[in-house]
Amino acid sequence: MINQANKTHSLWQRWWPFLVVILGALLVFGVAHDDSLYQTPILKIQSIKQISSTKQSDQFHNEDRQVEQELHGVITNGRNKGKHLKIENTYLKSESTTLGYHTGQKVFLTAHHHNGQLSATISNLKRDTALAFTVWLTVSLLLVLMRFSGLMALTSVIVNGILFWLAVSWNADTQGGIVLMIFGGLAIVFAALTLVIVIGFNRQMLMTLLSTIGGTALSIIVALIVFSLTHEKGVYYESMQYVTQLPRPLFLAETILGSLGAVMDESTDIIASLTALKAEKPDVSAKQIFKSGRQIGGEIMGPLVNVLFFIFVAETLPMALLYLKNANSWNYSFNMTMSLGVVQSLISGIGIVLTIPLACGITSLMIGGGRKWGRLQH
Amino acid sequence: MGTITALGLILLICMVAVGGSQGLQAWISLIFNFGALFFAMVLMAFHLPPVLVTLVTGIIVLAMTIFLGGKDSTSTMVAFYASVAVLILLVIIIIPVEHWAQIQGFGQEDSEDLEGMSTILGISYLDVAISTAILSTLGAIAEAAIAIAAGLAEILEQHPKITLKNLQGAGFRVGSQIIGTTFNTLFFGFFGGFLALFIWFAGVHYSMGEILNDKILVGEVLMVLFSMMSVIATIPLTTWAMVASERQARKKFVK
Repeated sequence: MINQANKTHSLWQRWWPFLVVILGALLVFGVAHDDSLYQTPILKIQSIKQISSTKQSDQFHNEDRQVEQELHGVITNGRNKGKHLKIENTYLKSESTTLGYHTGQKVFLTAHHHNGQLSATISNLKRDTALAFTVWLTVSLLLVLMRFSGLMALTSVIVNGILFWLAVSWNADTQGGIVLMIFGGLAIVFAALTLVIVIGFNRQMLMTLLSTIGGTALSIIVALIVFSLTHEKGVYYESMQYVTQLPRPLFLAETILGSLGAVMDESTDIIASLTALKAEKPDVSAKQIFKSGRQIGGEIMGPLVNVLFFIFVAETLPMALLYLKNANSWNYSFNMTMSLGVVQSLISGIGIVLTIPLACGITSLMIGGGRKWGRLQH
Repeated sequence: MGTITALGLILLICMVAVGGSQGLQAWISLIFNFGALFFAMVLMAFHLPPVLVTLVTGIIVLAMTIFLGGKDSTSTMVAFYASVAVLILLVIIIIPVEHWAQIQGFGQEDSEDLEGMSTILGISYLDVAISTAILSTLGAIAEAAIAIAAGLAEILEQHPKITLKNLQGAGFRVGSQIIGTTFNTLFFGFFGGFLALFIWFAGVHYSMGEILNDKILVGEVLMVLFSMMSVIATIPLTTWAMVASERQARKKFVK
């Protein structure tokens, strides 16, 4: 009996990631057929006829092709389910604001009733299946390859995602008046929760939390000092996208959140290594702890700064190209699209670097042993 | 002095003060990466194929970041080879997914920024979207590859006689240590940067269905997922590369 129980237990341990993979695949299949969950009518495109393709150009000598297509399809949900419909769609080959559609795709419709005749225009492409598929692929890779640690990483991301959304709703309820307070406070909660999930609740986690909060706060303080000394010359808040409230606090909140993960990552690395060092050699002095922490930090800071740089700046590429193709100068295009991303990367970079002495200092003070810290002065 | 110059100089001073010559290298690699990214964009504006430009830029950026970051020559070589393999694997995943999701270009939320702009561009924005996704993962790939390779090099140094099988296990253990925090770096990096968009969604009361099919949001989430996949893939690929390089080194030693 006991043997059998053990057997099922180990079987379960071995195969649970694959079970999740199969369940996830079923879920993706479900999302591909979830049309009836939507209120908006959905059209499945069955055939496409190209009507015309004409050359277009603008005053900047850019050339493009304008294509007109006629889509035939069937409505798959709601009151008009099963009805066949013909829709015309015009798009530019570059597809920066318009899209060309393909057979088999599903699109959302805005229906118009005119003298009892049903006609419609396309409002959006149905993208939920592609999204669900990619989520499934990522989660499957994560669980099959990394198993338990993968599950923990996934959990912390989901928990943070939920918290993030709650904070965003709260911000909306307060009309964005206290955005910095909400997201500054949230950053602390985020860091504490994530570290409890990743490390567990102990002294090491408290040290890491302290260094994360300190490092992030330091970077914002440095940024604010630089902003006031340079009068924010070259910081173009008007180039911020999707702004619905005062841009400056929003930008700072974005920067705090953006660098938080990296600062946490770094603090975890440094303090975990130093704790391990102390466990291995209990007689290591505070000075030595500080020194080896600085060495570890020096090795990881460069790659970490680059992680954030590519995240912040790469996503400005489509807009920057648009500015360049509209015959704006390189300088102006940079200012209007990339400069805020660069400022964000630099502030985060400063935070990442300043966290190193902070993490080393905290660790050597808290576990460095009674006598040694004073010796650093000599 | 402009704010960007001032912040850049402060970063340089901090990096050198903390890391010495390694700090200087880190700063140079950041400046170089910015130059590479900007240059890639200019080439795209001159109608060179975006994905090709991105691949070449990507490999150069990985080389610069990895070789300027690490010290030990075997582990940096291994990290570089592994990161290029991850890059190629990622491109194979990104291209079909981007064709499927069609998140290229700008959404309705961008219309204010597009006012007065000509959208006759003659550049395939699908290719630009693919390039953006690839570029945004470069830093994550380099960081993970360096971390795994450096961790394994240290284990090899302490236990030079470790069996290849145990070395492989050690690689996954190093991976499981970094994956949690790296995921959070990516999560916050992306979602922090797009805070304004989420506030927009909440303010305009988008429905769940609208959010899950929104061009900008889906594009953004796909980028996070691609980055996460690249980090996951880096763990086994770097480990195997390290095992292969160690196997070869031992063969030579026996001869």
